[in-house]
Amino acid sequence: MSSLQEYIRKLDDPDEAERIYAAEDIGYLNAAEGVQPLLERLGNESSRAVRDVIFQALTRIDADSTIEGCIGLLGSDDPQIRNQAVDVLRCKQARSIPFLNRVMREGDKNIRKLVLDVLTGVKAGDAEEIYAAALSDQDLNVVITAVENLGGMRAVEFRSQVETLLQADSHPMLIAACLEALVGIGNDSSMLAIRRCFPDLDLLPDFLLASCLKAIAVLGSAREFAEVANLLLVRGRHLRPAILDALTALHPRCQMPDASKALLPAVKAVVEDGDPPLCRYQAVRLLGFWTIDDDVYQFMISCLSNPERLVRLGAAESLRVSGRPGYEFTFAACALKETDDEVLEALKC
Amino acid sequence: MEIISVDQIQKLGQQIYQKLGLHFDEKKIYFLKTRVAKRMEALGIEDPRDYVFLVSYADHDGVEMQALANLITTNETYMFREYDQLQAFANHCLPEVLSAKQASGDKTLRIWSAGCSSGEEPYTLAMILQEVFPQSQSWDCTIVASDIDENMLRKVRAARYGQRSVHDVPEEYRGKYLIQEGDEYVVRRRTAALVEPVHLNLNDRMALRTMRGFDFIFCRNVLIYFDDLSRKAVVDHFYNALKPGGYVFLGHSESIGRVTTAFKLKRFENHLVYVKE
Repeated sequence: MSSLQEYIRKLDDPDEAERIYAAEDIGYLNAAEGVQPLLERLGNESSRAVRDVIFQALTRIDADSTIEGCIGLLGSDDPQIRNQAVDVLRCKQARSIPFLNRVMREGDKNIRKLVLDVLTGVKAGDAEEIYAAALSDQDLNVVITAVENLGGMRAVEFRSQVETLLQADSHPMLIAACLEALVGIGNDSSMLAIRRCFPDLDLLPDFLLASCLKAIAVLGSAREFAEVANLLLVRGRHLRPAILDALTALHPRCQMPDASKALLPAVKAVVEDGDPPLCRYQAVRLLGFWTIDDDVYQFMISCLSNPERLVRLGAAESLRVSGRPGYEFTFAACALKETDDEVLEALKC
Repeated sequence: MEIISVDQIQKLGQQIYQKLGLHFDEKKIYFLKTRVAKRMEALGIEDPRDYVFLVSYADHDGVEMQALANLITTNETYMFREYDQLQAFANHCLPEVLSAKQASGDKTLRIWSAGCSSGEEPYTLAMILQEVFPQSQSWDCTIVASDIDENMLRKVRAARYGQRSVHDVPEEYRGKYLIQEGDEYVVRRRTAALVEPVHLNLNDRMALRTMRGFDFIFCRNVLIYFDDLSRKAVVDHFYNALKPGGYVFLGHSESIGRVTTAFKLKRFENHLVYVKE
């Protein structure tokens, strides 16, 4: 009996360990004839450990039958099997595309969505036909997934299609996906498209504003800086992380050393009013752009003694890049009292 | 170089978790940022978005993630490293396994320290075992210490360590299990005798098949250096190497759940452990 036949026979062994070894050995043999027995065993196998190894074996076998078998599993009722089949297909890279193309035309909406999940590991340019179909799919979920993929993979060749999908009256989930995709693939024209849809940021619902701020952080200009700064005063606390991140990203690009009179007190208030520590850290880092101002500088120095470690950390990072002379002595004094390893590293580095 | 935003560092944290199984929370934000900044500098990347993209979508062979892993992990090993995890082992898992064995009359205990490096981990386990379970002297207890590097195994056999290796050993354990010789500490013979050094390559699947019947496997901060498929293969072998009811311990920030679904997750105090049912 050939070793493959022996391993195939052992796939039905009552001992779980033997079945694991058999599946593993078939995978290492890289024999296309092993694919069908593995898939059959998968259908009857109750041990998760064996199922995991079967999928690893399918990953190792370099044959079209593996791809076809895994595409068949995308329709399984078991979500774990569906997800593992997606993982195997993803490992097959561009080789799976002709098969996925067919499924994109013939499969139901759930399968079409899974096809796009597979494509997260494949260059968008290799799957142009699939993405073109997905962006005009009848199912909203499929369209959103395609937009998310294209943004994540920086598929700039699809920028104009994504901009076209961005309409004020589109489904909010699609709008959010388009905004976030434009973070990765947008340019000046994208910013115009965003502002055409949303001329007044203040009127945007929270859900969309968070996504919009991510796009503005990357694509915005001085005009947006002033608008976003104003949001810190008028919108809820939960939006502060997104607002602070956007301002921090916009500032260097806008070359805007002067803040409005209202902004600095508002940012200081975030540092002081017990927001989540990470948000306070963001606020201290943002304030770091204005350390040329003596009040801000003194405030930053006082932050080095704040009980919250992330406030101290943010202050140390900001003061270090401020370039103002004399901070080194303050750092040395603080280092003697500092007990947190990370803050100490920031003070000493 | 542009400031790495909180959103970007969180995205990188997700990627590191997905690909290496290492969890970084906000307590490690500065640590992670400085290491990422180092990688960006080495690659000549100015915009953190470009680095996030590289790691998330353009690192098909995993080379960049491995380079980052080398910066965010430490090869340093010392006794009683990751003390909280050892407490979960000593206070919950070990007593549970031992009482089941006592009930069934089984007087054997097998522990595997996989990728043991110079041996600090297996000797730590030996000390804990003797402390928690003094009757272990009359049992058949073995701590198999495996490593791919023969030089490391020579150090295991010597059982002789410098100050850095023993600085976290609780004071009451030092006198009991170690003998000071000048600047060095030697593991006492009674404790050292529990440890059995074995040469083993965790990528050698046929060799791994010989490792069976363990009650505990410790493989801490080792698998992060493996690619995804190899990591899965090793963890599947751990499953086979364990007896039902046996536990596997990875590093405290490592997760096994994204590698395999075969183990059951259990919580002891603040610590999560994986058990073969």
